[in-house]
Amino acid sequence: MSPDALLVAEYLGRALYGGAILLIAIGIYAMVARYNLMRVLLGLALVESGVNLFLVAIGFRPEAAAPIIVGGVTDVPMVDPLPQALVLTAIVIGVGVLALAAALLIRVKETYGTLDTREVAKFLAAEPADAAPAAGTAVAGTPARETVNAGSAS
Amino acid sequence: MTSGANTLVLPIVLPLLGAFLLPLVARFGDGLARALGIVLVVVNIFLGWTLWSAVGTEAAVTALGGFEAPLGIVLYGDRLAALFVAVLAVGALIFWPRAEHGGVKAYTLTLLLVAGGSGLVLSGDLFNIFVFYEIVAVASYGLAASSGDKAGFGAALRYLVLGALGSSLVLIGIGLVYAAAGTLNLADIARLAPEKLSGTTGLAAFLLLVLGFGVKAELFPVNTWVPEVYAAAPMRVTAILAGVVSKLAMVVILRLLVLVFHDPAAISLLMAVAIVTIVAGEFAAYRASDLNRTFAYSSIAQLGLVALALTIPATAGILAAIAVALHHAVVKPAFFVIAAKWRGPLAGLAGGARVAPAAAGLFVLLALSIIGIPPLPGFWAKLVLLGGAFDAGGAYAFAAAVVLAATVVEAAYLFRVVARIWQPAAGAKPAHFAFSDLSPALLLGVILIVATLFVAPIGTALSGAAASAADAGSYVARVLPGRM
Repeated sequence: MSPDALLVAEYLGRALYGGAILLIAIGIYAMVARYNLMRVLLGLALVESGVNLFLVAIGFRPEAAAPIIVGGVTDVPMVDPLPQALVLTAIVIGVGVLALAAALLIRVKETYGTLDTREVAKFLAAEPADAAPAAGTAVAGTPARETVNAGSAS
Repeated sequence: MTSGANTLVLPIVLPLLGAFLLPLVARFGDGLARALGIVLVVVNIFLGWTLWSAVGTEAAVTALGGFEAPLGIVLYGDRLAALFVAVLAVGALIFWPRAEHGGVKAYTLTLLLVAGGSGLVLSGDLFNIFVFYEIVAVASYGLAASSGDKAGFGAALRYLVLGALGSSLVLIGIGLVYAAAGTLNLADIARLAPEKLSGTTGLAAFLLLVLGFGVKAELFPVNTWVPEVYAAAPMRVTAILAGVVSKLAMVVILRLLVLVFHDPAAISLLMAVAIVTIVAGEFAAYRASDLNRTFAYSSIAQLGLVALALTIPATAGILAAIAVALHHAVVKPAFFVIAAKWRGPLAGLAGGARVAPAAAGLFVLLALSIIGIPPLPGFWAKLVLLGGAFDAGGAYAFAAAVVLAATVVEAAYLFRVVARIWQPAAGAKPAHFAFSDLSPALLLGVILIVATLFVAPIGTALSGAAASAADAGSYVARVLPGRM
């Protein structure tokens, strides 16, 4: 690798950290400063991407090759493969959690008719006597569907 | 693999396998699926018991797939881990859902919770702890939403958002630890920690990990989900989450403290978090207007006590943490059983003792124990905690004073409820308890009384578990023989 290319790779490595921090910051901003639950979820997705980028950046070495042994040659510097394996797991978990969140989001919209966190918080803070548990029923007007768990709200 | 290895692998693998088989089994009848789930949970209690009696002071270690630590994945089972594997399974058994609580979906999620929770306490490396933490988290999001109640979905979604943000913080913390130490194996990190993790990076990683695991452990300031979810989720779910799952996160924090983070700054940080958690929890419980929220906030305060106990140096602190955690795991679920029937404003509880004398009597017993009246187990738990704190002196004496003051507040709001129950009914009477409604709480009450009778042997057994959990040197020596 030429010295110039190495320098570029080194700056790229540093830029990865900057990008990760920026993504996490934008994501957290979206989560706390926006009241729309959809935007909160998008913020969450940004935070997760930022964290994943951060983990990949930890393993990055400017002079190193991809961690694949080609032709039995093992003495070349390689990028640390472990964070990459971690990120794969983290991405899969993140997808699952976001999918579950999206499913709950649909339920919230059906049940309360709003995605505004302030409105939802009002429902939750209400005295249990007021928010009489309407077991398994959605708000009037929404089509009846099988509830997640038809059951008593004991 | 030897049979010793099986007792480490099976508590995770069997419920996990069962969770994915149950939807298939349920095609042959819901009762069959329910029975299979219960059998698997009972097996886990047995495995926890086997592990407890097998390990003694020498913990069992298994390298999965034969890849040795620090490169391979290890499971580490000492008496502390065995204890919590068994407690989790007992909790799941007592509060096993019935067909009307969501049927096979609820069984599957509960088994996932058991599998993830067992993995959480048995894992010997940081990344598997993260993975199992996520399994526990996802299962609990699903269970929290399963009431089908209006408040359920909103509470579950807000819980999920906070939980997922917490998991991201955990992941950054793990990333920082890995960047500094270059390994994820807890024993290997413990070996390298004094050199690599004693500075600001270590402190930042600890802060992120505590905030992340603190979501499940109900620590300030990431516990805003607690009152919402505990008020909206089904009673069975609330009982398991408050009683057991929160303690599992505490076990992880315990391992991190014992093995990795000995920095005085890290200890002070956790102590500050714990004290704020205790004070905020007790005062919020005092202000709460219904039983569910009272107990939710009181649960936060109790977990603050556990976190405070963890900061007390050496075995005394860990013993106190285990004692407070176990006592809370018995008492709080029973409280939630009572709260499930007596919903609504506290004023509506007047006349409760007339309508349901058994529930009212049990309430008094539980209240006395959680406040810490001798000879009930809660007294011994608090005594160990305060004794450890006063022995350590300095800032711990201040913490002990806070605990005593918090106990006064606790007594005030619990006896306010007791007084209300014994008042003559005004207007509508509180709900009556059928035997099946109250039976889980009665069972826990019996466990509490039995524990009172056998306080001395239980104390000896827990001291042994605490001593081996506090021994970082033996952890490293067991996982990495020849590397010390």
